[in-house]
Amino acid sequence: MAGDLESSKALSGLLSGLAQDAFHGHPGITEELLRSQLYPEVPPEEFRPFLAKMRGILKSIASADMDFNQLEAFLTAQTKKQGGITSDQAAVISKFWKSHKTKIRESLMNQSRWDSGLRGLSWRVDGKSQSRHSAQIHTPVAIVELEIGKSGQVSKSPVRMYCSYPTFHIGKLGHGKESEFLCLEFDEVKVNQVLKKLSEVEECISTLMQRA
Amino acid sequence: MLLDFQWKLGMAVSSDSCRSLKYPYVAVMLKVADESGQVKKKSFEMTIPQFQNFYRQFKEIAAVIETV
Repeated sequence: MAGDLESSKALSGLLSGLAQDAFHGHPGITEELLRSQLYPEVPPEEFRPFLAKMRGILKSIASADMDFNQLEAFLTAQTKKQGGITSDQAAVISKFWKSHKTKIRESLMNQSRWDSGLRGLSWRVDGKSQSRHSAQIHTPVAIVELEIGKSGQVSKSPVRMYCSYPTFHIGKLGHGKESEFLCLEFDEVKVNQVLKKLSEVEECISTLMQRA
Repeated sequence: MLLDFQWKLGMAVSSDSCRSLKYPYVAVMLKVADESGQVKKKSFEMTIPQFQNFYRQFKEIAAVIETV
């Protein structure tokens, strides 16, 4: 039985399953599913504490966003503990974290985003020649549509945006359910005002990144 | 119609699911008026790469609107 719990391949699969459940929000990954798929010879009462131990270790590593030095120190300590892990298991966990760290971190960041995100941005520029309220000649207007919603996913598929003059492809940020669409008109002055604000944000980001 | 555009550059340091987040984000608050003049506030968040795409798109809008 213990030999089954020490299987590297099964542990690798177990860690994937745990990550899907704890971080990536994949539903239906139960203890029984993991046991029957990966450790069918191990009885449930033996599997349960083993699963809890691995889940705890993975959550600790992810929560601390461990770098490789911290990871090695942490796993070494786990091998020396009573009821800890074997050095083979430590090697499997180390390999798993190294290859999945980025994706897990991304999921953790998404979990911490509670405000609405920007899921999409589309725009076109119209050359307005006349309006109902006043005779405006050749006043260009940008019409911008923002798609705002919860936990947006980023897609990279380009879509064709129509524009009064040349048409060209722009990457659309994303699409999802329960979105709110905000349609705004900007004249050239307004566009430049917003652009100025965005350049201020960019400057702050550069300062922040330099300090990090 | 956009009345006001406010922004905030934030850094999420820690959360209950991740003690070491270190995640920078841009939060935007828009004040908009609809055709009837009613004023509403809309807020949303962007990751840094999303913000950079947003900024790039506005630069494209500015470039196009200038040539029209």
